[in-house]
Amino acid sequence: MSDSPSPSSVPVLEVDKLVTTFDTDEGTLTAVDGVSFSVSAGRTLGIVGESGCGKSVTALSIMRLLPQPMGRIASGQIRLEGRDLVTLPIEEMHKIRGGRIGMIFQEPMTALNPVHTIGRQLSEVFLLHITQDVKEAWAKGIVMLEKVGIPAPVERMHEYPHQLSGGMRQRVVIAMALACEPSVVIADEPTTALDVTIQAQILELMQQLQRDLGLAIVLITHDLGVVAETCDDVVVMYAGRVAETGPVEQIFNHPSHPYTRGLLESIPRLTTPRKAELPVIKGMVPSLADLPDGCRFQNRCPHRTDKCAEMPLLEQVADDHACACHHWRELPAINVS
Amino acid sequence: MDTPSSSPVSPGEPILELRDLCMHFPVHEGVFNRTAKYCKAVDGVTLTLNAGETLGLVGESGCGKSTLGKCIVRLNQPTSGEIIFEGTDLAPLKRKQLKPLRRHLQMVFQDPVESLNARHTIGETLTEPFIIHGIGDTESRRASVAALLDRVGLPANAVDRYPFEFSGGQRQRIGLARAIALNPRVLICDEPVSALDVSIQSQVLNLFLELQREMGLSYLFIAHNLAVVKHVSDRIAIMYLGRVVELAPADEIYQTPRHPYTRALISAIPQPKPGRKSQRIIMEGDVPSPIDPPSGCPFHPRCPHATDKCRTEVPSLRKAPHAATGHTVSCHYDL
Repeated sequence: MSDSPSPSSVPVLEVDKLVTTFDTDEGTLTAVDGVSFSVSAGRTLGIVGESGCGKSVTALSIMRLLPQPMGRIASGQIRLEGRDLVTLPIEEMHKIRGGRIGMIFQEPMTALNPVHTIGRQLSEVFLLHITQDVKEAWAKGIVMLEKVGIPAPVERMHEYPHQLSGGMRQRVVIAMALACEPSVVIADEPTTALDVTIQAQILELMQQLQRDLGLAIVLITHDLGVVAETCDDVVVMYAGRVAETGPVEQIFNHPSHPYTRGLLESIPRLTTPRKAELPVIKGMVPSLADLPDGCRFQNRCPHRTDKCAEMPLLEQVADDHACACHHWRELPAINVS
Repeated sequence: MDTPSSSPVSPGEPILELRDLCMHFPVHEGVFNRTAKYCKAVDGVTLTLNAGETLGLVGESGCGKSTLGKCIVRLNQPTSGEIIFEGTDLAPLKRKQLKPLRRHLQMVFQDPVESLNARHTIGETLTEPFIIHGIGDTESRRASVAALLDRVGLPANAVDRYPFEFSGGQRQRIGLARAIALNPRVLICDEPVSALDVSIQSQVLNLFLELQREMGLSYLFIAHNLAVVKHVSDRIAIMYLGRVVELAPADEIYQTPRHPYTRALISAIPQPKPGRKSQRIIMEGDVPSPIDPPSGCPFHPRCPHATDKCRTEVPSLRKAPHAATGHTVSCHYDL
């Protein structure tokens, strides 16, 4: 969290020029194209973007859970506490998943097995990573449920996922993700399926657990509000590439990429005059099979020039703030808040 | 498009009135499948939609907002209450009697994938309303469909294509084209932009606003995203467990919310403004089940201000103390 200084400035997780491809009927598609970022202990990195921008594929690549046999990591490194996960043997990877890296998925109903009790699923995590003792695993499960704020944890252990509400299920998923005290948690749209008041509870819980355990969190979401309120750093992705990256205040107060600016301008806010026409980003996200040469955003960009046929590289805008646009210097100032 | 039939209701006058509308679904239990309890999805809602305005309906999942929308177009047969559309009560009408009125009252659904028939071309889908209501001949229908596509910003060649060939935003435009095909007066929009990406959402919201200005449509806009609802609405009703707990002009409900639930709901919306919220009101617990709602005020188990009175007495919707007219709230206290 931004107000608590990170215990170490050494990144726990570093993703370096990650390229992930999928073999499809339309040929090999590059879903993630040269994405780099890093997260330190106690900090939250937000990855934002619209459907198909590659944010979930990035998460699956880190976990090495890409759909097989189509998906593969073509190049790049993913370093967790110094070790490259890309080349790690699969048995080692089993220990990492759920052990060093915890996962929280969007839909808590599909992340949990409907035919097993909460207790069985939760103690399985301990049995895989920490202990052989079934009773001890069960007891640890109860402690975890208590930690994530589930009332009557002893009874809940015997219940099935369908007996819990959406918010409670997501708490169980968080308990499973944090069971083995991981150093990194990857949360893919953790609150998208939840109501706003429940979302507030879950975000609060994640922040509190982060403070207690010094977790590094990678939060993948499409909700700019959630990013602004919970993240320290942001990566804005568009069509498989990083459009802009930087500290959350920079991205929201001084967005430099036309895509980031367009997104921030187009969302209705409580302060937007009612029924006024909203600024829009024209057109739609191009299909991965049909990407323009050069800048991926050019077909929708109001500032497009001939130069945009060349692929823009990430240029430094300010400290830790970089933007992949040829024209960011010339763009008119905007007021997005 | 069909020639507009003029509405007998002038702008600003009530076009749709719900009076004490209830939708109680029977819950069956036991070997004999007896009706043991009722799920009170909508429990005594009274609301008015004026011609040309947008009434936003906000609430969390399970609060009954979608059921309410379905009752109005009679996709659900309400248990009791009145649905008065332009002076006619729709609730007791038979299918045949309802048909001529249905063209004035259309619905836009949340999921543009499920609400379009995957086996019909867009042309077939959009022609269907004209066939059902026996309007025009083949030639004029074709012209109407072309005009509709143009109106919602889709290419003319969409006529011969199938839903899967379109993106989510385009499909929602198709859903909207179908809803406005017969020049309706009221659109019930059930979460029409929730499934769309951020950059597409604003395009579709703009289209909703344009169509309202041009066609004088009245919208009942059902959604859970308060920022979106506030943007399109003139007045907003907040629902909780099948009841309306607060109703006020859109700007006022945000500036001076009176019901503790509305306050918590507004404070929970994440704002795209960096800096963590410290004054956020975090409500404990979940929404109770509408099968077994709490006694007294339905919000009392989660309310920070609850007293004994709240546990026993059901508050009625009354004019909010010291507020402008048109601001009603159902809370025993003046918070």
